[in-house]
Order: sequence, then C-alpha cells, then structure tokens
Amino acid sequence: MTGNQKFASRALITGCLLLCLLQSAIAQNAGDVDVAVVVHPDTPVNNLTLAEVRKVFLGDRQYWSTDIPVVLLIRAPVARERNVVLKVIYQMSESQFKQYWIAKIFRAESATAPKVVYSNDMANELVTAIPGAIAFIDARDVRPGSKVVRVDGRLPKEPGYQLR
Amino acid sequence: MYSRLLLIFALASGTALAQATSSPAEQESVQSLIDRIQQLDKRISELEDRQRKQDAVQTANLQTPTPGQESQDNATSAPALHSEHAASSTAIREAEMHYPSLQIRGFADVDFSATNQKGSVSGFNLGQFVLHLASPLSKKVGYFGELSFTARPAGYDVQVERTIIRYDYNDYFKISFGKYHTPLGYWNTAFHHGAWLQTTISRPQMVQFGGTFIPVHFVGLQAEGNLPSGGLGLGYSVGLGNGRSSILSRAADSGDINDNRAWVASVFARPTRFYGLQVGGSVYGDKLTPQPGNNFNELIMAADVVWTKERPEFLSEFANVHHRDLRTSQIFNSQAFYIQLAYRLPWLEDKWKPYYRFEYIHRPLNEPVWDVSGVSSVEDLVGSTVGVRYDITNYAAFKGEYRNQRTGVDEPRVNGAFFQTAFTF
Repeated sequence: MTGNQKFASRALITGCLLLCLLQSAIAQNAGDVDVAVVVHPDTPVNNLTLAEVRKVFLGDRQYWSTDIPVVLLIRAPVARERNVVLKVIYQMSESQFKQYWIAKIFRAESATAPKVVYSNDMANELVTAIPGAIAFIDARDVRPGSKVVRVDGRLPKEPGYQLR
Repeated sequence: MYSRLLLIFALASGTALAQATSSPAEQESVQSLIDRIQQLDKRISELEDRQRKQDAVQTANLQTPTPGQESQDNATSAPALHSEHAASSTAIREAEMHYPSLQIRGFADVDFSATNQKGSVSGFNLGQFVLHLASPLSKKVGYFGELSFTARPAGYDVQVERTIIRYDYNDYFKISFGKYHTPLGYWNTAFHHGAWLQTTISRPQMVQFGGTFIPVHFVGLQAEGNLPSGGLGLGYSVGLGNGRSSILSRAADSGDINDNRAWVASVFARPTRFYGLQVGGSVYGDKLTPQPGNNFNELIMAADVVWTKERPEFLSEFANVHHRDLRTSQIFNSQAFYIQLAYRLPWLEDKWKPYYRFEYIHRPLNEPVWDVSGVSSVEDLVGSTVGVRYDITNYAAFKGEYRNQRTGVDEPRVNGAFFQTAFTF
C-alpha cells in the first residue's frame, strides 16, 4: 500500500466515524425534544407541579374551576408525546393505561377517558377550541400564542424540564 | 422550482465556461437555448396560476352561494383554507362532548374449579356476565349503572348492582343518589363486578359478593370529593342510606326495614410524593333487624393500605364488625383481613403477573347475627391463594390459582385448583 493509499483509507475511516458521531448526536437531540403542556387560553392556570399534572391526567382533579371541567387530550399510541406521558406522568405501560381508564370510568370516578388526538396539529386545534382542554405537544410544534404551562416553574427547553 | 434554478445555473455556468473557448456561432445557439428555457419556465408558471384560479372558482361555486363576493386573489388560496377549516371543525365537533353520551362495556368470565372438599363437584361454570353503563348527561351530571347476570340452576339471576346519578359541583363536592358498592375499605369500591378488573380469580372472602361480613351494597345518597390538603392528596366520602335488608347479604333496594338510616364515612390519602400509595379508613353504622323484634346495632371500622402499581402491587385491608344486641346489650366483635401481593414480571412482554394472598376471618362462636337464618353466613377462615395471571391481550386474561383454606373451627383444610379466563368487551 502506497503512502497516498494509506492516507486515503485513514481519511475514509475518519470520515465514517465523524459521520456516525454526527448521526448519533442528531438522533440524541431528536429524542430529547421537550414536550410542552398546553392548555386552553382561558384556563386559570400558569404553573403546575409535576404531581399536579399527574393528578390532572389521572382524573383525580377534574375541574380547573367550578365552571371549567378538565378535558384531557392525549396522542394516539406510538406517538412520542404519548410515550413521554405514559413514562413520566402515568408511569404505566400501554395496557396498564387502558385498564386504568376502563376501571376509572366504571368505578364512576370519571365520566370520560382522555380524548385521543392523532397529530400535534389536531392537538393544537382542539386545545385552543375546547374550554378546559389540556394537551401534551412537542415543543417545536406548539403554535405561537398558545398557552404553555410551566411545570415545576420551568418551560420546555429550560434546564431541568422533566417532560422529555 | 429549485431544479429549474439549478438547471439554469448549470447551463449558465456551462455557458460562461464555454464562452472562454467556444466560437461565436456556438455562443449564439447556447443563448437561444437559455432563452427557450426561460420562455418555457414562464409558460409553466402561467399555466399553474391558471389552474389554481380555476380550482378556486370551482370550490367557491360548490361551497359558497355568493361567489362574487370574494376577489380572485383571495380565491387562489381558498381550496387549501377550506379543506383545513373543514377538517379542524369536524375534529372539534367530534371532540366536544355530546349529551347524553352512553358508553357500554361488558365483562364476562368462564371458570373451572376442582377441590378435594367432600361433596364438591369439579367442572366448568359461567361466571358473571356484567354490563357497565356510563353516560354523561351534562357538563356536571353523569349516570353510572351496572347490571349482572349470574347463572343459576334454574336460569339466570339478573341484578342491578349499581345505579348512580351524580352531580359534580367541583372537585371538592360531588353528590350522588342511587345504589352503590359501599365505600367501606378498599376492594369494595376499587373492583366491581367483572373479574377482569381484579388480579385474582376471586374476591377476598370478607368482601365476597353474596357474603355478609360487610354490607357490599348501599342504597341512598353519597357526597364525595377531594379535601384541600396539598401533597397529602386527601379525599372523602360520606353517605346516608338504607343499609342491609333482612337478608343480610342484600341491600334494602325496595325500602329500609326500620326507621334507622345506615351511614358511612371514609377518608383516604394519596400522597403525591409516593405515587401509587393509598391509605384509607372508613366507618359504617346501622341498625339491623334480621328478624322482627330482633335488633342489633352494627358498627364497622375498616382500614386499608395499598400500593396500586404493579411492580409490586400490594393490597391490604382490615375490618372489625361490632354488633350489640339491643335486648341483652351483649357485644360481639368479628375481624377479617387480607394481604395480597402481586408483581408484573418485566419479561415476556409484561404479560405474566404472579400473586399471593393470605386471608383471615375470625368470628365469636356465639355471634347471633351471622347465624340468624339458621345457616352460618360467616365462618372462621384461614386461607392462602397463590396464582398467576397471564394477559392474553389488553382486554383478556387467563388466571390459574391454587387455594388452601380452612373454613370453620377444627375443620380439615381444603385444597383446590381454579382456572379462569376473564375479559372485557
């Protein structure tokens, strides 16, 4: 192997390694995207603790105020936002989540299960249109002007934000 | 568009390079080609614009009765706007709650049992066929119902297990009327009819349907809600109703048997720091008239500690039933508890959940209420159950159990194998 060939093969290997590193960095970055808690603009809440978000999504808190019932919106299975909600908020598997809501409704503790939304666009639409609605939306897809709730005093992309 | 620009750029750069070397005749032909491309590009843009305008006019004609009101410029973006608006308004309409909005869910199970108890027969039996109904009637009013169909030798026994109408004022005060599972202890309100809901095949003996140790059903009114308690997560329920009928295992659906109302109060805590933990206490009072002229005061106190997650699942409950004979003032106390431990295994797609339960009941031998019908309705019990639940799908499960129990004093232990497939639909 000549000196030029050696140089070329080393350059090729280094290039491949750099490409792999770049790819993994991009993938990691995509996996760490924050999920924003968005509420209807008239909802009288700006900051919730993670425990309060959990209480809302478990159906244990059903009213924002006497006249505004909570309307839960959750992405359909496989969506990343749903996985974050199941992992961080519910701490349940998909089947446990389904069983939880069947039991909750038929224990007469809640009238309805969370409504399923099929895209972040749909979540944006509904959370703006339905009074009392609350949804988890990929922070990059939150529409300008939407009401994003602080979780433990933090907004998405701030250090220490837990919903990711 | 980008490809066109790229093409023009390529040609232009090619031309520029060529200009340095090519003849004037070649330069002329290249220039004519560039002109031709630019003409075609312009022509394509014109055709695209025309097509867009035609589409807009057609949509406006179809959807709007007065198309002339809109300018042509606005109409160019109409199709996209219209379809987007139609889709979102449909989604909003679908997501908004409509009243009434009846949801029905069915539960059923098929069982097999075999024991070494004298006189028992092994074999299959149909469990309960149960229909749960839930229907929001308005933003703040909801209805819940539960019907059961139980196989009997002479047909099916149909029962209204629960029928509740509830008005929610807010999270702190909700009032309801109807027939409930008495909010006494944990199991009786956490797991209703429908064996799929519970981990095990059967309920603990102390809260058995058709049993008499606690009053499983309650007819009357109930107020419930959260208590402002921060991270402690306190909740309460208080109720007033008819209590037991003269048949102790049944609620007085058609009217109380005496002028004393039964009452029940319970409080629980779900601390936010320990998500999954629930600690509760409840108390129930009633006057029993199992036979005319034969009256007893009943006071039941219960406590429960549960960890509702599945890794592990821990359920434990204790109840003391206190009876006082109003003629003789004699006092009788019976106790019961169970401890159940289960663990959802993290392998094989989380489908397997082994469990173990120990249960215990003690009653005084001379307790008159349990024997009022001539047949003992509550007996001493020491028993263990070990089994496994396998979730075939999200909505169906197989369960297999081995039980070892001693029922009554100085009675032999009974061993049994039980299998069940339980599902919801």
